[in-house]
Amino acid sequence: MDGVSFVLTSTVVVAATCLASAVVLLIAERYLANYGPCTIDINQGSKKLEVRGGKPLLATLMQQQIFIPSACGGRGTCAYCKVKITDGAPPIAPTELTLLTDEEQQKNVRISCQVKVRNDLAIEIPEALFRVKQFTGVVERMRDLTHDIRELRIRLVEPAAIEFTPGQYVQLEAPAYGDNPEPVYRAYSIASPPSDTGHVELIIRLVPNGICTTWVFTMLKEGDEVRFNGPYGEFRLAEGDAEMVWIAGGSGMAPFWGMTRHMREHNVQRPCTYFFGAVAQRDLFFTDEFHDLEKAMPGFRFVPALSGAENDGWTGEKGLITQVVERHLKDGSGKEGYLCGSSGMIDASVKILKAKGIPEDRIFYDKFT
Amino acid sequence: MEHDPHLQRVLDRMRSGVLSRDGFLGTDPRPLEEVLDADRSAVAALGTTHEEVAARLGEVLDKARAGLGTPIRIGDRLVATHREAMGRIPCPFGGCGTFPKGEVELTDPATGESLFLTALGIHMVGKHGFYQGRGSRYRLEPTALGRLMQLGGG
Repeated sequence: MDGVSFVLTSTVVVAATCLASAVVLLIAERYLANYGPCTIDINQGSKKLEVRGGKPLLATLMQQQIFIPSACGGRGTCAYCKVKITDGAPPIAPTELTLLTDEEQQKNVRISCQVKVRNDLAIEIPEALFRVKQFTGVVERMRDLTHDIRELRIRLVEPAAIEFTPGQYVQLEAPAYGDNPEPVYRAYSIASPPSDTGHVELIIRLVPNGICTTWVFTMLKEGDEVRFNGPYGEFRLAEGDAEMVWIAGGSGMAPFWGMTRHMREHNVQRPCTYFFGAVAQRDLFFTDEFHDLEKAMPGFRFVPALSGAENDGWTGEKGLITQVVERHLKDGSGKEGYLCGSSGMIDASVKILKAKGIPEDRIFYDKFT
Repeated sequence: MEHDPHLQRVLDRMRSGVLSRDGFLGTDPRPLEEVLDADRSAVAALGTTHEEVAARLGEVLDKARAGLGTPIRIGDRLVATHREAMGRIPCPFGGCGTFPKGEVELTDPATGESLFLTALGIHMVGKHGFYQGRGSRYRLEPTALGRLMQLGGG
């Protein structure tokens, strides 16, 4: 056999071996990795799903219209899609180990996108997730509220209406674009009131290097179709008539914009002071609208404050929002605190409110911040 | 090391579009091990350690975060401004939990030199000795850090 024949024969042999291996793998996937019908028991019989095994738990639940919050689209990086598996769980995968604390592992908490459904499972999830739906909508209006904050008004298409409580959030899907190979999901509080069932408004701040916000600010336009799921979250006005102290900054405005309009529509007379912090006047928005709401709602007071040194002509409150709260709030006993903003603002606000006498269990904010 | 499955997972998470739009490696053509080795040597040449650098940067981050967006003076030369962002981001090395988003711009107004700090970036310096790749917005070039922060008495 000459050299050329040897090379050709070797190439054919290698190619045939690779092809045969691929066929074997496909057959194995089809027959050996087919785990057949499996049952997923949710919340001790509250719901029983008959599913075909073989796919990750997160995707399997999603196929059954049960949406677990997930930011990375099931790639095992965000660690948001945790569920408790009380029976039938496989051993913890190395990809999960890096995302679970020791305590979570002891409590059978798992990363649902990394757990394959291979047999019957019993899981526990918050009942509220049964009401979460996947929505398709169209961007009806997009407007800049400040130099780096944008409002999206989305008209719902399918389903055509949403039910939620003011303060809850949705997960907006940023589709694959550029170097971003797969859709990602980011949480945004709903800024519209629940009475506007056919729309959802979101307030989004541009995050440098952010996958979703870059898409919103540079690619998304009015008339485009968008997808999101929700509603999620426990942040909401507590029952009762306790006086409220709201503190927000930047896009943390969103839930309070919806809550205030909801209170106005339902003639809620509950006393409330809303402290909104910004650095400069260019960072303020909805100021006129909130001052109008003050006139319509006797118990409601809006206190915008600027912390920057160069704010010529500003006659309102000055200083960090936490300093302004400290000056205005004499005694927090009997009151409730509601916060939305960056983690730094929330940490500082919790400290001030506790020092003023509001117990920690009466201070509310969403964990996604 | 190229066949180390853990390292491959780390590299996958560092790619652009996975955890952040631009990823963590910037336009740096060097393999990750080379980036880590070079920065380890550069930090040692400054007479300090990854842990000490991270501790100094952590102090700056905490002071800037307390400013809630207002520029804060750091010592008598530097200014730090925190830009808030909601949400958290996991460490690409895995197993370290998640870190609040948002960035701090640390500037020397006299020279105009500046660096961007994040909670995750500082964690990666202290725990993994990773200063991010060249060309990344959040690259903490050790020599630039040395000048700006006067590390190692520089």
